[in-house]
Amino acid sequence: MENLELLEHTDTVNELLARYGVKFGIYKNNVFKEQLFPFDTIPRIIEKDEFDYLERGLKQRVVALNLFLKDIYSKKQIVKDGVVPEDFIFASSGYMVECEGVTPIKDIYSHISGIDLVKGKNGTWYILEDNLRVPSGASYPMIARGLCRRSSPDTFEDLKIEDNRNYAELLRRTMDNVNVGGHTVILTPGRFNAAYFEHSYLAEQTGAHLVNGSELTVKDDKLYFITADGKHERVGVVYRRISDEYLDPMNFNPESLIGIHHIYDVFKKGNVALLNAPGNGVADDKGIYYFVPKMIKYYLGEEPILSNAPTYLPFYDEDMTYVLEHFDDLVLKDVAEAGGYGVVFGNTMTKEQKKQFIELLKKEPRRFIAQEVIDFQDIDILEDGEKIPRKADLRAFVLMADEPLVWKSGLTRFSRNPDSFIVNSSQGGGFKDTWVLSQ
Amino acid sequence: MKSLLFDYYMQIDYSVPVSKCNYTIKCIPQNTSRQKIENIKINLFPSSDYSIGTDGLGNSQIYGSNAEHTSFSFQISGEALTGIEMYEEKENESASMIFKHPYGLNKAGENIKKYYEKIASEVRSDDAYETSLSIMNKLHKDFSYKQLVTTTETTAEEAFSLGQGVCQDYAHIFISLLHLAKIPARYVTGLIIGEGASHAWVEILHNGYWYGLDPTNNTSVTTDHIKIGVGRDAKDCMINRGIMHGGGFHTQKITVKVEEIKK
Repeated sequence: MENLELLEHTDTVNELLARYGVKFGIYKNNVFKEQLFPFDTIPRIIEKDEFDYLERGLKQRVVALNLFLKDIYSKKQIVKDGVVPEDFIFASSGYMVECEGVTPIKDIYSHISGIDLVKGKNGTWYILEDNLRVPSGASYPMIARGLCRRSSPDTFEDLKIEDNRNYAELLRRTMDNVNVGGHTVILTPGRFNAAYFEHSYLAEQTGAHLVNGSELTVKDDKLYFITADGKHERVGVVYRRISDEYLDPMNFNPESLIGIHHIYDVFKKGNVALLNAPGNGVADDKGIYYFVPKMIKYYLGEEPILSNAPTYLPFYDEDMTYVLEHFDDLVLKDVAEAGGYGVVFGNTMTKEQKKQFIELLKKEPRRFIAQEVIDFQDIDILEDGEKIPRKADLRAFVLMADEPLVWKSGLTRFSRNPDSFIVNSSQGGGFKDTWVLSQ
Repeated sequence: MKSLLFDYYMQIDYSVPVSKCNYTIKCIPQNTSRQKIENIKINLFPSSDYSIGTDGLGNSQIYGSNAEHTSFSFQISGEALTGIEMYEEKENESASMIFKHPYGLNKAGENIKKYYEKIASEVRSDDAYETSLSIMNKLHKDFSYKQLVTTTETTAEEAFSLGQGVCQDYAHIFISLLHLAKIPARYVTGLIIGEGASHAWVEILHNGYWYGLDPTNNTSVTTDHIKIGVGRDAKDCMINRGIMHGGGFHTQKITVKVEEIKK
């Protein structure tokens, strides 16, 4: 697959993506800027066997994470049994006391999970991060695939690739699985959100209504959609693309202008399903990440199929000693930050910065994790017609419907900066399609 | 034991009409081991259908919305039999985990930490209840009651640095100090005998039971206290949360009456 005919159509595909408005919004110095999400036509290709392995590991991980969330907001057995220290739960900003004792429909907390992985130079896949709140990105490879097929039908003629345009079906099945009776809606904060393109695209593809907060209202413990002519129609499931804190000003941040008053009270009574359930931040915190392999053993009695990147918690004395001794070989992450912020590499700090950082680390050990820098495989990208290697990760999507489903594709993000390991789209990276071979 | 009659009334008047308002009211005393509540009456104006639910901490709440109005009020009254047991309730399996960690308004800052270091050797004992009483005694001496110098948003650290405040501030600082002493502690809203406003105090966990301590009055909770709700801090169990559109200026009036029923 060295010389795909598709690569000759790079410009056409990017022009089409621009015409369709495939954009990503970013805030820089408080100014909202919408920019194109650069697409690179060279796909990431994953062999069938390799993806089967990933699929098993991803399902296992997401099943365990869902069990963990249920446990934390009810019995807390994993904490009582000493597997996860309580500091990592109850002092975490992701823990929401409002969710105590609340049972989501069918016990599903994370219906849509975005799991970030990288492939090391040794061929091993490592999990980098779990995203269980409102992970975004599935729409980009979906639409890119469609446009690639249109630009270069021949490329897809002979290759046996899993069609990734079924994401909408999987998503619809996930929403239908928990619908309590009524409309299916996708709730967007509006067009100034970074992922607005995705919200509208997924609504169109799944046949859901795209709504904003002012189009929904609560009455008598039920949620209604207000139609254009003012009628109230019952809503059974909300795929909300608003973060927990802004979802309901009566239960969470009172200053939210984009939320729906009392929607969480309706959810608590079982009268509407929310995708994903509020409170999931307690399970995708970078500090909790360390414990996910332990969770898999604890809840499922199985060995984890997929490994974490080797991670140290300065919270534990012996890990602190290790971190201080190997500081230059490690990457340090602030557990409260996301999107590639709050990540520092030990070997890039000046002496003074290092001294300050270590002071902070000793003062607030719970706030940081340290990881070995994984030398991950480069993937070629095209720049001015030349193939050049860049770092790339993979966001896999796992949906929890009547059974766990792994989308046979994913969002491959790459860094355009040759020296950077940070591939987040909010940091200006680009994306690739992910081809999973079907035989 | 004592029988108390309680009556909580809140009225908010607006200078211009409110077009829509959503409210959540957490003002319904519940049965605990120490108190038994009977004959609860709830009146809302404008009278509207409201829903009843429970928040994540087990507090009962009534909530709903009102269309256009210029005045909003609610009244909750009933009878409480207090002093049945000394403790409020037995610790359920997980609550202490939630109430051990600094959170929101009760987080200790440098001044509270320094103060704790200073008093630590004098207050520490093997008995959580004894330790709590000693901390409360100290705090009562070093902090004084004064209205209108703090707000509902004031943190424990801010109030402590000021040296003055109201029951909410006493409670937050006390919780902050208790956490430094590794004692699970939580904020309590409630009513106290007499006329005036609502009250706030603290519950500590001791040998598997929650006990009430009232740092404003430097006393353990007596038969004069009626407990309403609990939280990690005041915001978790705010008696009234309302969000309205319009309304202009508003004036709020709260009348609370608690008196003994002589039989």
